[in-house]
Amino acid sequence: MTNQTVFITGSGIISAIGTGKDEVLHSLLEGRSGIGPIHHLQTEHTDLSVGEVRQTDGELRQMLGLSDDAMVNRTALLGAVAVREAIAEAGLDAEDMETVPLISGTTVGGMDYTERYFLDMQDSDEHLATLASHDCGTTTQLTARIVGLDPGRTITISTACSSAANAIIMGANLIKTGVADRVVAGGAEALSKFHLNGFNTLMILDHEQCRPFDRDRRGLNLGEGAAYVVLESEESVTRRGVSPLAVLSGYGNACDAHHQTASSDNGEGAYRAMQQALNMAQLDCEQIGYINAHGTGTPNNDQSESVAILRVFGDVVPPVSSTKSMTGHTTSASGSIETVICLLAMQNGFLPANLGWQTAMEQGIVPTMGVRDVQLCHVMCNSFGFGGNDSCLILSQPGHTSHLLPHISPKVYVKSLSTLAVHETTDRVKEFVSPMEARRMCRLLKAALTTSLTALREAGVPTPDAIITATTLGMLENSEKFLLQMCREGEHCLGPTLFMQSTHNTIAGLMGIKTRCHGYNVTITQSEHSIRTALLDALLQFRLTDAENILVGSHDESTEIFADLIHRLTGKQIPVGQSSVSVVLSTNPDGALCELDIDALTTQLDPSNVLHNL
Amino acid sequence: MEELIQQLKEQIIDVLNLEDLTPEDIDTDAPLFGEGLELDSIDALELIVLLEKNYGIKLADASKGKEVFRSVRVMADFVSKNRTK
Repeated sequence: MTNQTVFITGSGIISAIGTGKDEVLHSLLEGRSGIGPIHHLQTEHTDLSVGEVRQTDGELRQMLGLSDDAMVNRTALLGAVAVREAIAEAGLDAEDMETVPLISGTTVGGMDYTERYFLDMQDSDEHLATLASHDCGTTTQLTARIVGLDPGRTITISTACSSAANAIIMGANLIKTGVADRVVAGGAEALSKFHLNGFNTLMILDHEQCRPFDRDRRGLNLGEGAAYVVLESEESVTRRGVSPLAVLSGYGNACDAHHQTASSDNGEGAYRAMQQALNMAQLDCEQIGYINAHGTGTPNNDQSESVAILRVFGDVVPPVSSTKSMTGHTTSASGSIETVICLLAMQNGFLPANLGWQTAMEQGIVPTMGVRDVQLCHVMCNSFGFGGNDSCLILSQPGHTSHLLPHISPKVYVKSLSTLAVHETTDRVKEFVSPMEARRMCRLLKAALTTSLTALREAGVPTPDAIITATTLGMLENSEKFLLQMCREGEHCLGPTLFMQSTHNTIAGLMGIKTRCHGYNVTITQSEHSIRTALLDALLQFRLTDAENILVGSHDESTEIFADLIHRLTGKQIPVGQSSVSVVLSTNPDGALCELDIDALTTQLDPSNVLHNL
Repeated sequence: MEELIQQLKEQIIDVLNLEDLTPEDIDTDAPLFGEGLELDSIDALELIVLLEKNYGIKLADASKGKEVFRSVRVMADFVSKNRTK
């Protein structure tokens, strides 16, 4: 058994309500919103309100000591500002910088540059180099490089709007299992035309200031920013003699397994995530002093989250607020931005306000409008994402010790393996889904669904205990189509279908729905290290939970345009098409193909190998 | 009106990727959502885009779609009264 307590020893933040913790604290105490007209983002939707970080890219570069011509995407710049603050507070030294991993959540990555130059790139080499940092994994590496961390020790999580919360969970699991004694974990996301338009096609943007939990709420306001915490083991805290800011006493990750872009009526995923977090922290509902809700302000989220909170807390619901009413919805960064806000609330004894709220919704949460001079021992922070990726974190005052966890390293076996190579058709998907369901699926989604469901069928596992997906570039074909349409035809008359299948976690989310798997669900995107990291994450799950069967997949695709750009950029020829491999890992040896050998399986599952070994 | 109905059916099949259907398969008076074609909320959003793109009709509220998309006939009626192109 282990009682590895996970301490928070540093934190940093940049958002629409301030750069650095002092400014953010001031805004929170004053109840000042950072949501307003668009200044930096070049978009046709000038009528929309957003939570923009006030600095331009140039000003961020200057803060970080980068040259004016450094082509660094805004997500990486925002990330670097926040990581730097967190590292300084934790007092990491030069030696630490070489070993401490950076675990970051993002979905937008370098889309800001890509959307600016996508049409140019097809005819001219002038801005082609920016494509090299388009993907999320490279964006995290850029952040690491700017602040002086090792870019080789990065992990990127992309579970849409819960990405940062899941990065913190991954970091905590590394500490609980003794794989690392310190990690920097959080998330970063810049505003992009791509996702502003995407959310717009779903008609879930409020054109005025958002009103989370209000009866007349109309939707969300997008925001941007970054936040990171330094997580540290007890042994490391003692050795370094540092005073922790808080304890990450509990956390949970569950899948709603309901819909790609909407939460279920009974908030099942959110309910399970909160219950898991409470169980791990060994806390009763009455002990939670404040909930920082996901609270996006959309009719669907706030209704579903209200139901979930009421299911967990019954008649002892603590004060709840959504600080997205001040920061805007910072999507992939929201989990860590709100974690740092919770830290500030705990350290300074106040409840942040839920701005914009006026009228109670039917059977809904009545949020707090802000209270000062309170003592908070334990606070909860909710983060939910597309694909039903729901997560919950609980922070406690430093004295709290964590729940004992089983600490065993079970033998893990490969139960089944299914592949679909780049030249194969995706017709087999018809075995698993109706034509009405298949009509909207892109090629990669069909391939991934086919290999996943084939592997599960061969393993005799209808519902796995967890789903972990690796992808380098995500849903490239759909993202490209949406981007082309937006760049060529403008920002009006775009449809939602391409966007809702453009997030990296589209596959894992759909697999949750198809297998009714409410368990741990995560998508890892770390360039060529994606699949190895996914396999390692599966091992963490086997060690820390009672999971018996885990579905792990590696799915990637390439398009004609992308293959041409890559050829011009690197000289490499990559085939056009999709490649998908799925395995079922199990602690049960019955009928297994072999024992798990991570090195061998990594080679076998590597999408670049699958693409090349034709 | 019959011409507009036929045109709408073709556009619906195209926009919603209903590859296995022909315009004749769509009952002009059957509900598009729930029963009938069994379309969902994402389809409704795509149909809102269809109205704006092809007929210059802007629905600001997604819930208005529920009335307009009751059947192809209702949709055609709405288009003929509100179209700007």
